[in-house]
Amino acid sequence: MIYIHLFAEFFKIGLFSFGGGYATIPFLYHISQVYNWYSLDELTQMVAVASITPGPVGINVATYAGLKSAGLLGSALATGAEMLPALILVIIVSKLLRKFSDNFYVKSIIETLKPISCALLTSVAIGLLIPDLKDIKALVLLACLLLLSWKSKKDPLFYIFLAAFVGVVISLIN
Amino acid sequence: MYEVGNMSLFRLFLIFVKIGAVLLGGGYVILPIMNSEFVEKRSLISNDDMINYFALSQSLPGIIAANISMFVGYKLRGKWGAIIAMLGVTFVPFWCIVLLASVLGALTQNSYVQGALWGVGVAVIALIMLTVREMWQKSDKNIYFYTIFLLTLASLLVFKLSPIQAILIFTIIGVLYKRFAERCE
Repeated sequence: MIYIHLFAEFFKIGLFSFGGGYATIPFLYHISQVYNWYSLDELTQMVAVASITPGPVGINVATYAGLKSAGLLGSALATGAEMLPALILVIIVSKLLRKFSDNFYVKSIIETLKPISCALLTSVAIGLLIPDLKDIKALVLLACLLLLSWKSKKDPLFYIFLAAFVGVVISLIN
Repeated sequence: MYEVGNMSLFRLFLIFVKIGAVLLGGGYVILPIMNSEFVEKRSLISNDDMINYFALSQSLPGIIAANISMFVGYKLRGKWGAIIAMLGVTFVPFWCIVLLASVLGALTQNSYVQGALWGVGVAVIALIMLTVREMWQKSDKNIYFYTIFLLTLASLLVFKLSPIQAILIFTIIGVLYKRFAERCE
């Protein structure tokens, strides 16, 4: 029975959470109130845990909640159920885009999505930057990373590992 | 129909496993990583397509990083490509949680782990800024592009619209404008 509930609840999250990652948290909070799969304290811990492991928070928390409530099978079920609605929608949207690629509306939508995407990403960059403005160390590191890349761009992993290394060194010094 | 259908599903899976393994510091870092893997290193996806997938992924429900992976997977190998992309990108995150569940609580308290995450957070900002710069350089800029860009950015920063609200509103305005402009010609 728990498998059916797990599937249904995480399918619902996958279908109704817009905006990714943290948008799933209100749903997970609701689950903690209705089922006794995990407590509110455990949810808070799950979110902290999700932030130190790779992968989007929404996926990490689904895996963790499934594991806590119904073991390995539960975690696979919750994770899969959460992505299933999007999988179906992605396939439908991709098919429509291909089929109607010459249609006036599809062409207009695509041409409009480009400046919108640029604006979305710019606002993400600004949103992430604002809390770091008071952190001198972060600003210096950011400036160094940007300088490193301005002339020749390297693999994104290079910056991630370099910056993680610098972070560990700083915490060693402190 | 799939001009790029020669990539094996297994290879596609491995690329997405790699992408999933380095998804740290929030899902947004997926765009720089996908750009590097599929647009720059392999030229399998055009820059324009990637930009569209990014916006479309935010317009659909679910996890943005998984959505954009599924769009790319579908583009490369159809339905199975989308499924393989979904399985690949969640592979490392899934096993990380399952195998480390018992020690994860203690790890979050560790100061070295926190230091590394602080660094990753800064790298993510740098990567996103670089991606903005690149998107901007590669876009076909005209009055229409600038107008929609500025209106959307203002609505996000000043009026605090959510991404999905901004996408819906400005797509509708853009399409209506195009329709109107076409009638006038």
